[in-house]
Amino acid sequence: MPPLDEPSWETLMRAANRGDQRSYARLLGAVTPVVRGIVRARGGVLGPEACEDVVQEVLLTIHLKRQSWREDAPLRPWLYAVTRHKVVDAFRARGHRVEIPVEDVAEILPAPQGEDPFEARDMARVIGRLEPRAAEIVRAIGIEGESAAEAGARLGMSEGAVRVALHRAFKSLARLRERMIE
Amino acid sequence: MKTDALIAALAADTTPRVAPGARLARVLPVAFVVSGLMLVAFWHVRPDLAQALTSAPVYKTLVPMVLALAALWLARGMARPEARVGAEAALVGVLGLGMLAALVYGLSTNSLSEIGALLDTRDFENCLVSVPVLAALPLGGALWALKAGAPRNPALAGAAAGLLAGGLGAAVYSLHCPHDPLMYFLPAYGGAMLIVVALGALIGGRVLRW
Repeated sequence: MPPLDEPSWETLMRAANRGDQRSYARLLGAVTPVVRGIVRARGGVLGPEACEDVVQEVLLTIHLKRQSWREDAPLRPWLYAVTRHKVVDAFRARGHRVEIPVEDVAEILPAPQGEDPFEARDMARVIGRLEPRAAEIVRAIGIEGESAAEAGARLGMSEGAVRVALHRAFKSLARLRERMIE
Repeated sequence: MKTDALIAALAADTTPRVAPGARLARVLPVAFVVSGLMLVAFWHVRPDLAQALTSAPVYKTLVPMVLALAALWLARGMARPEARVGAEAALVGVLGLGMLAALVYGLSTNSLSEIGALLDTRDFENCLVSVPVLAALPLGGALWALKAGAPRNPALAGAAAGLLAGGLGAAVYSLHCPHDPLMYFLPAYGGAMLIVVALGALIGGRVLRW
């Protein structure tokens, strides 16, 4: 349970659906340790780096499938369902069979906060396969922390065009990932 | 790439996305109307349509429509990864059992040679081909809509889309088809809808993976 002064995950996600980037970043930040906890509890044998690859894959999936959450439903069951599906799928693609009973997911403790020392390699590799401009935009906004407007100004694109390119880049990332890992 | 960097990039992409249910509501009416227009243009409606639609033969339109609506409900539920679709699946199951019971009744009250005579027409094969053709657009639309979703079982979600599309296709085709006996309807329409269900499962198993 979040403390009372914290907005619920549902509130954050609804705000995100209306274009509120800060709420969305906050939600993803809050969700990540939970996802990491689930991934490590199931796939710890793969090592922290491979686990972080799976965490990032789950985050990308949450992002691309977020419209399948119904705004009047609680977010956690949706989130666990997406995480379970993707974790099983990701480990299968890496040659490991994991099973996650539904009731298990809700009980796994989040991984301790404040540790993200891992440079997950898969995502960087897949981003490298994007067309150069799309890769540049993803890196500029993610790693350099530029806004869409700043990235646009540097690349000679409108802010809107940057957003469209970013959105397409994530869809391509999901497709490329699937191909590269299988 | 560090996870924090990925989160920052993801959070910058707030492109509004359309929910699978809303996509279904958008695409299905259009697909249904276009299939209807295709029927009028290339198959022609039966000459006694007005009379057929106001008497018993209207069941050939209504039963597939009811199946399609139940399948729509099921497909919409399956698009949500966390949803339990027990009630939706039960409704589709009950309707399927109803069709099966009607088939058993038909087999017990008609001799095989009578049924054979009913089906001994080019229209029977025509039906098995025409319904899937008329269902193609609704099937494509339904699968496209479900692609925005996250079905736990892609093949089953595809089958639900197939029943939805097959029902719509059969309802449209019924406006053309002049054969009204139950033991024509069940093998021809039932068979045709099953073909679309199988196609939906086959395609859905591939395109709805996530």
